[in-house]
Amino acid sequence: MILYLARCAAQFAVALVGIVTVAFFLMRAIPGDPALYMLGDFATAEALATLRARLGLDLPIWQQYGVFLLRAAQGDMGVSVVTGQSALAEIWAAVPPSATLAVAGMAIAICFGVPLGIIAAVRQGSAVDLAVMLLALGGISFPVFWLGLVAILTLSHALGLFPALGATSEPGFWKGLHHLALPALVLGLSVAAYIARLTRSAMLEILGQDFIRVARAMGVPERRIVWHLAFRNALIPVLAVIGVTFAWSLGNAILVEAVFSRPGLGSTILKAILSRDYQLVQAGVLVLAAAVVLLNTALDLIYGAIDPRLRRS
Amino acid sequence: MSTMFELRNLTAAVPGEAGPVRLVEDVSLQVQAGETLAIVGESGSGKTVTFTSALGLLPKPGRVIAGQALLEGEDLLQLSPDALRRRRGARIGMVFQDPLTGLNPVFRIGDQISEVLRAHLPISRAEARERAIALLARVQIPDPTRRVDDYPHQFSGGMRQRVLIAMAIALGPRVLIADEPTTALDVTVQAQVLDLLTDLREADGMAMVLITHDLGVVARQADRVAVMYAGRVAETGLVEEVFRAPRHPYTISLFRSIPDLESPAGTKLAPISGAPPDPARRPAGCAFAPRCFAMREDAGCLHERPSLTSDHHAVACLRAGLLEVAS
Repeated sequence: MILYLARCAAQFAVALVGIVTVAFFLMRAIPGDPALYMLGDFATAEALATLRARLGLDLPIWQQYGVFLLRAAQGDMGVSVVTGQSALAEIWAAVPPSATLAVAGMAIAICFGVPLGIIAAVRQGSAVDLAVMLLALGGISFPVFWLGLVAILTLSHALGLFPALGATSEPGFWKGLHHLALPALVLGLSVAAYIARLTRSAMLEILGQDFIRVARAMGVPERRIVWHLAFRNALIPVLAVIGVTFAWSLGNAILVEAVFSRPGLGSTILKAILSRDYQLVQAGVLVLAAAVVLLNTALDLIYGAIDPRLRRS
Repeated sequence: MSTMFELRNLTAAVPGEAGPVRLVEDVSLQVQAGETLAIVGESGSGKTVTFTSALGLLPKPGRVIAGQALLEGEDLLQLSPDALRRRRGARIGMVFQDPLTGLNPVFRIGDQISEVLRAHLPISRAEARERAIALLARVQIPDPTRRVDDYPHQFSGGMRQRVLIAMAIALGPRVLIADEPTTALDVTVQAQVLDLLTDLREADGMAMVLITHDLGVVARQADRVAVMYAGRVAETGLVEEVFRAPRHPYTISLFRSIPDLESPAGTKLAPISGAPPDPARRPAGCAFAPRCFAMREDAGCLHERPSLTSDHHAVACLRAGLLEVAS
């Protein structure tokens, strides 16, 4: 177990270094200059050079990369060139609203996607199955920003059920939840579509297995067969798709945050990219990547708990 | 002796382009308490379909279109789905062919046996576990108290089949249907599993239906045998009778196609040429006619479908009487 955890930690580190490296070079590959952005278009060449030297941007890129890695290894992701604050602290401040949205979206996706997928599988070929699959096709096909706009127009503007703004400064749990509802629903439904489709196909496969026929021959009630005996088998592929869609829904969360004017990692990183705030982007990418890798590591451990054959000795 | 399980004129079909395709047709069989009835026939002859359809387990869109399946006189096919479910496992158990895929890989053995017990009995988890351990001991699994918490992949094929047998007999059924229970097992394990089934049958006085394509198994384990061909019963009778004097040309050909220690060295085996007919394209007359050595057009083999005679050693062949005279 200790060995396994050590291997997980090593994989985690390698994945993070890789992702941060890509972010480092990508940011420097796009045109633009943070010094120019800070000082404006009328800055003197001399002032620009001074600032560039202060930011370390005059060094060769390999040297910059070396310095960056060395500092990052010590937990120092640098300082935002725009605000002068620690980049990691600034990103960290944007995490709670994004995490809330992501978790709420995932919860909605699972609560809708898994049962709908199971029902569609059990009633394969029926009108219910067709309806669920059409809905899922829609959820996958329509981009999330479009769904967001439609949700605002209908549920918020026409029916007045939810506020169009995805966040509020007013205190109170219920108030916050009311504002969170629409963005979480939009984010969740697009993921729910994937989960429903995958749950359906996983359940169909499992329900055709010999051990299900055995359970039927032994007189186990159908309800028990579907929701207990078959479902636990289908859980592995379902969890796998949850792991994959989580990364994808973090990307969607950025769009949803923009549509619903919600603060969070999305808007923070977007602003950082536009202002060529290298440190802030790198810190943001690091946090997002860590979230994805951590979730998938956790899922790996859960797989072992569900299916003994996947357990590592 | 009382009849435990009886099929009367059972016909099951799947929808086809030109009307229903009959997988099994007009099958009548019965098995008495304490008796083993062997069902033999090649793959696709309808052995398994006969019993899965009798238990309401035929996968859709297959369905029973005629006949009765009487369990201690009660027609299973007239029961509501829930009433039928409560009979399955409790009063009629079934063991399937492949023990490697028959157990749920993500549940402990004990939990799977408990699941069956708790589907029929209002007992607690702890009680179900105790009974599961006792059942594992009954099917001769060593160290059942420890093994009850193991998962299927920690068992060998033979041991898994024992677990499946434990599930099938968990509620003390009156009838046990074993569908090729040893086909997927090593030869050395086959005999052990068959002996276990026979011991259990004798101890509980169950009626057993043993589906197999192994005539050696029939000779050793069964009291009576029914030979199936193309979804119909071709011949049925006591094992000694059928083995000593087979009446149906198909049965005769089956015996000629297996090696025999007593036949002189150099005797060639006689395989049955051709293949069984596709259920959707069965010939108008006897389904075996195209492959039959005794087929005679003037006897009506190509036009008339022979029905099973009603005597003790019954046969469905228009030429059966003539064959006996000749031999």
